[in-house]
Amino acid sequence: MLVSLNWLKEYVDINIAPYDFGEILTMSGTKVETLTVVSENVANILTGKIKKIEQHPNADKLVVCTVDMGSDERVIVTAAKNVFEGAIVPVAVDGAVTANGMNIGTNDFRGILSYGMFCSIEELGMDTNLFSKEIMEGIYILPEDTPLGMDVKELLWLDDVIIDVELTANRSDCQSIIGIAKESAAALDLPIRDFEIYSTEEKNNDIADYLSVKVNSDACERYVAKVLKVKRVEPSPLWMQIKLLNSGVRPINNIVDVTNYVMLELGQPLHAFDYNSLKSKEIVVRTTDDKKMITLDDKEREINASMLMITNGSVPVAIAGVMGGVNSEITDQTSLVVLESACFYKNSVRLTSKQLGLRTEASARFEKGVDPELAGVAALRATYLLEKIGACEVVGGLIDVYPQPVKTTKLTLDTNWFNAFIGISLSEAEVAGFLKRLSFTVKSIGDGILEIEVPSYRQDIEVREDLAEEVARMFGYDNIPGTIMGGETMTGGKTPIQKYEDALKNVLVGQGYFETLTSSFTSEKRLSALNTSLSEELVRLVNPLGEENSIMRNTLIGHQLEVISLNYNRKNPSGHFFEIANTYFASAAPEELPVEEKKLVISTYGNDDYFELKGMVEILLTYSGIDNASFVAGGSDILHPGRKATIYLEDVKLGEIGEVHPAVVKNYDLPKRCYVCELSFKALYECCVTDKKFVDLPRFPASNRDLAILLKSEIPAASVENTIRINGGDILESIELFDVYTGEQIPDGYKSLAYALNFRHFERTLNDDDINPVIEKILEELKSSFDAQLRE
Amino acid sequence: MEQELKQLRDQCLADLNEVEELKTLDNVRIKYLGKKGALTIALKGMGKLSNEERPIIGKLANEIREEIEKNIIQQKQALEKKAMEAQISQEVIDVSLPGKTHRVGNLHPLNTTINELKEIFLGMGFTIEEGPEIEWTKYNFDYLNVPKEHSARDLQDTFYYKDDIVLRTQTSPVQVRVMQDRKPPLRMISPGRVYRTDEVDATHSPVFHQMEGLVIDKGITMADLKGTLDLFAKKLFGEQTKTKFRPHQFYFTEPSAEMDVTCYKCGGVGCKVCSNTGWIEVLGCGMVHPNVLKDCGIDPDVYSGFAFGMGLDRITIIKYGITDLRLLFENDLRFLSQFK
Repeated sequence: MLVSLNWLKEYVDINIAPYDFGEILTMSGTKVETLTVVSENVANILTGKIKKIEQHPNADKLVVCTVDMGSDERVIVTAAKNVFEGAIVPVAVDGAVTANGMNIGTNDFRGILSYGMFCSIEELGMDTNLFSKEIMEGIYILPEDTPLGMDVKELLWLDDVIIDVELTANRSDCQSIIGIAKESAAALDLPIRDFEIYSTEEKNNDIADYLSVKVNSDACERYVAKVLKVKRVEPSPLWMQIKLLNSGVRPINNIVDVTNYVMLELGQPLHAFDYNSLKSKEIVVRTTDDKKMITLDDKEREINASMLMITNGSVPVAIAGVMGGVNSEITDQTSLVVLESACFYKNSVRLTSKQLGLRTEASARFEKGVDPELAGVAALRATYLLEKIGACEVVGGLIDVYPQPVKTTKLTLDTNWFNAFIGISLSEAEVAGFLKRLSFTVKSIGDGILEIEVPSYRQDIEVREDLAEEVARMFGYDNIPGTIMGGETMTGGKTPIQKYEDALKNVLVGQGYFETLTSSFTSEKRLSALNTSLSEELVRLVNPLGEENSIMRNTLIGHQLEVISLNYNRKNPSGHFFEIANTYFASAAPEELPVEEKKLVISTYGNDDYFELKGMVEILLTYSGIDNASFVAGGSDILHPGRKATIYLEDVKLGEIGEVHPAVVKNYDLPKRCYVCELSFKALYECCVTDKKFVDLPRFPASNRDLAILLKSEIPAASVENTIRINGGDILESIELFDVYTGEQIPDGYKSLAYALNFRHFERTLNDDDINPVIEKILEELKSSFDAQLRE
Repeated sequence: MEQELKQLRDQCLADLNEVEELKTLDNVRIKYLGKKGALTIALKGMGKLSNEERPIIGKLANEIREEIEKNIIQQKQALEKKAMEAQISQEVIDVSLPGKTHRVGNLHPLNTTINELKEIFLGMGFTIEEGPEIEWTKYNFDYLNVPKEHSARDLQDTFYYKDDIVLRTQTSPVQVRVMQDRKPPLRMISPGRVYRTDEVDATHSPVFHQMEGLVIDKGITMADLKGTLDLFAKKLFGEQTKTKFRPHQFYFTEPSAEMDVTCYKCGGVGCKVCSNTGWIEVLGCGMVHPNVLKDCGIDPDVYSGFAFGMGLDRITIIKYGITDLRLLFENDLRFLSQFK
C-alpha cells in the first residue's frame, strides 16, 4: 500500500528523517518496503500564467508566449498545442531541472530567445499512468486559482515521500492513512489529530422522501446511506487530486474523487449511485437470480445467486463490496447522488470477487475485514468533503441499517504472565502505557492484572497472546534479550535410518557420484516415454501447473534420464548421478493418504558399462552388510531386454538395474548407452546389517586352486558360482572369477570361466587329500548341471 | 710364519679395497677365509710350530681373521650404500606431474545446506522429524489455525489431490503430528519438500524446500526464541552476523516475527545482494499460538513454545550466491561439481 508522508503528517507531527521514520514503523510492525520521493530531481519549476500567444514569425509549428510569473514576465517559445491565453502552467525557468535531470537554460528558437520551457506531467516526474492520454501528452494545465510564481515542487507535492508498506493479513485497520497514522503515533508516542466530519445535528430528515434501505442478508453487517444534491460535476480541487495521485489513484471527478479520498483516508470503501438512474425509491441488499450485469468498467459479468447484490428492489445496481453497475453510474448529468457507506462480510466479498475474477480497491479492503463502526463516520466525512469542495448540497438525515452493532472485546492481561511469556520484566504501568498508546482502554484490577477493552477496529485481537504481541512490539522486539532455553536436557540426534541415508550418500559421493535434485512432478507423456504402461496407482493432481506436471512421480528413473539428457546435450562427456527421494502411489483405501516410498536411483553415462554401475551397487550392498544379494536377468521395460537384472535378497526385491532400453534412449534424447539402477530405500534399510562383529584371524595357511571351466555361453556365471559354493563345503573360503574368455581355442557358443578358489581350515593346515575330493565333486556337479568341462 | 701371516693380511686388505661390486666381495672372502682359503691353509701349518710359538702365532692368526672379517663387513656396507645411492639417483621422478585421477562426487548444494542446518540444531538437542508430503488439509491448515476461508487454501495457491488432501504447502504439519503423538518437552526440526502453485522463475518454484523448527516446554519465552535463532544465524552465517526481529503475522504463532540477518556479502553496509538495506530476510518465527497448542492436546497454561520456518532453497542461494533458483533443479554437472 502506498502512503503519502505529507498526508500522514497532517495527522501526526513526524519530525524525523523519512528513513528513520521508516525504520521505526518497520520495527513496530508496519513493514516499510521502499521510501520514494515523487520527483527527486525537479528544481526551479514555477507556476506562470500565459497572458498572450503569438505565432512565431519564422516557424509554423511554434508559438511565442508571454508569461506572467508573478514577479516578472518572460517569453517562452513552445510547440505545445494545448496552451491557451489565461492558462496557468508549470514553467521551467533558467537553471531549472526536470524530472529526468535535464537542465533548462535560455534557448534561441529561430531568432527568438525562449527563457525557459513549459512542462508536462512526465517532465514533472508524476506518474503518467494516472492521467488521461490527453493530459499526459500536453502541457500540464493547472487550476485557475493557482498562485503565480509558486514552486511546483511544493504545490504538487513533488517532494512528498511515498512509503510503500507491506501490511499483514490481520491488520485490515491499517489499510488507510488514518490507520497508519495511528500506528505511527503509537510508535513515536505522539498524539494524533482529529478530522472534520459533517455535523449530525440536522433539523430535518428529508432523506426519507428520497430513499429507504432494506438489508435482507447477514452478509451485510451495516448499510449507511446519505443523499446529496449535486451542484456541479467537475474536477476535484488540486489538493485532493494530489493526495489521490500520491496514493496511486487516478482523479476522475469531484464526486468519485471524494469516495476514493475517504477510502484512502479512513479505509472505508464508499460508492456513489446516480439517484435518478436507480428509478426507485428503495435500495434492497440481497441476493438475486439475475445472471448478468454490466459493471462500471463496461464489462458484462456473470453473476449468480451466491453473490450479494445492491438492488433497486428489482434489478442489481452494484455487486456488494466489489463494483458498481453501469446502470447507476455518476455522469455529468447526475443531479442527485446516493452515497453508500456499508460493511459487507469479508468471506462473502472474497468469494464473489474470486468467482468474478474481479479484485478492486474496495473488495481488497472488505476481504480483509472492515470495521462496521467505520461506516457511519466515513459517510459523514465524505458528506463534509462533498459540501466543502462545493460539489454537493446535503439532503438532511442519514439512513443507518445496523442490525447487530459490534460488541466490544474485553480481555484481561496478567502482567506477570506477560513477563514470563516474553522473558522480560515490565511494570504494570509500563504494560498499560504501551496498550494505551494503541488506543486500548486499560483498567488495573490489582495484582498486576489489567482489564482491557479492545477498540472496534482491532478485529485481530482475540486472546491474551495477541495483547502480548502489542505490548512486545511497542516495547521493541530489539529490546527483548536473547537467552538460552532452559527446561529438561534433551539428547536429540538422528535416527538409525537417517544415519543410514547419510552414510549411503557419502559412499556414493566417495565413488564419484553427484547428487541431483529433481521435481516431484511428471506426466502421462513423460511416463509413457519410459516404455511402460501407466499404473492405476498414479497420484493425479486436481489443479496441476500444466499437463507435464500433472502426476506425482512413481519412479525416479524418468527424472534421472532427463538429467542425463540435459548434461549429454550440453556436451558434458560423462556423468555419474544419484538421488534419494520419494515416489508416490495412490492408496486403495479412500480414508488413507497416498503411499510415499523413498527410493535411491543411480545412473551413469559416458565410458562406463553395466558392470561399472553394478560395481557401485555392490559397494552399497557391501556397505549395508548384504553379501548374498542376487542379480537375476530380467526387469521392467525401461531397460534393455538383454542387459537388465532384478536385484533380490532371498525373496525381497531390492530394485532393478540395467542399460536403458534403446526406445527410451530415443524418447529421452539420451546418449546411446546409459545405465540406471533404482533401489527401494526402505527395503535396503530393512535388509541392512549395521552391527559389525569381530572374527578371529586365521592361523593356518590357505590353499589356492584355479579352475578354468568350459561351458555354454548362455549359462549365467552366478549359477556356476553358486554350484561351486554349495559343493565347496565349509573349507571353501572364497571364490573369485578372474577371467571370462571366448575366442581362439573355444568353440562357438561356449565360454571359459576361470575361478580362483581359496580353501582354508580354521584349525589345521589343509593338504591335497582334503582338497582334491572337493574339487572332483565340484567338477562332477558342474558337468551334470551345466555340461561344463574342465579346461586342461 | 708370523711374517707369512702379516703378508697374507696385507694382501687380503689390498684385495678388499679393489672390490667394487657386492657379488665379487664374496670371492675375496673365499680366497682367504674359505675352506681352501689362503689363511686356512696357512693355519694348517701351525702343527709344525714349537710349543712356545704356537699360542703366539695362534693368537695372531685369530686377530688377523677377525680383522679381515671386520673389513669384509665394512666393505660390504660401503658397497651397499653406494649401490643404494646409485639406485636412488636413477629413480628421480618429476613430482610435479599430475596425480592419477580418482572420481569424486559431491552432495547437492541444497542438501549440503540442510546438513549444516541439521548439525546446528542437533547440537542443541533437537530431533529430525519427517512427515508425508501429500497431507490431509486438517494437518496442513486446520490444526495450524489457518482460517477456513483463507486464500492460502484456494486452488490458486495449493495443489489438491482430493478435497481434503493437498500437497503440503509448508513443513508445519509435521509439527502438528509430533505434538499430537508425543508429550512435551519437544525440540524438533523438520526439513522437507513443499509445494505451492508458483510458476517457475528465477526466485520461484512449485517444488521447494522448507525447514520448520519447534520447541515446547514449560517456561519457554520469546527471549529464548531470540537467543536460539540468533545463535543459529551466527553458526550458519558467521560469528559476526547480527539479527533483527521484526513484528509480523502468522496464524500459528502469536507474537510473530520475521528474522533478518546482516548481509553476508557486505556485512550490513548495503550492496546489490541485500538491495542496499544491509539486511536479508531469513525466516519467520513466533510463539506457538494457544489455539494450536490446545488443538494438539497441550495446555497453554502449562506449556509454551516457539516455532520457526525458513525457505531452504532461498538460504542455499544466499549462502552460495547462486543467481537463479532454476539452477538448483537443472543438475548441470558444471553446476553440481562446484560444491565439493
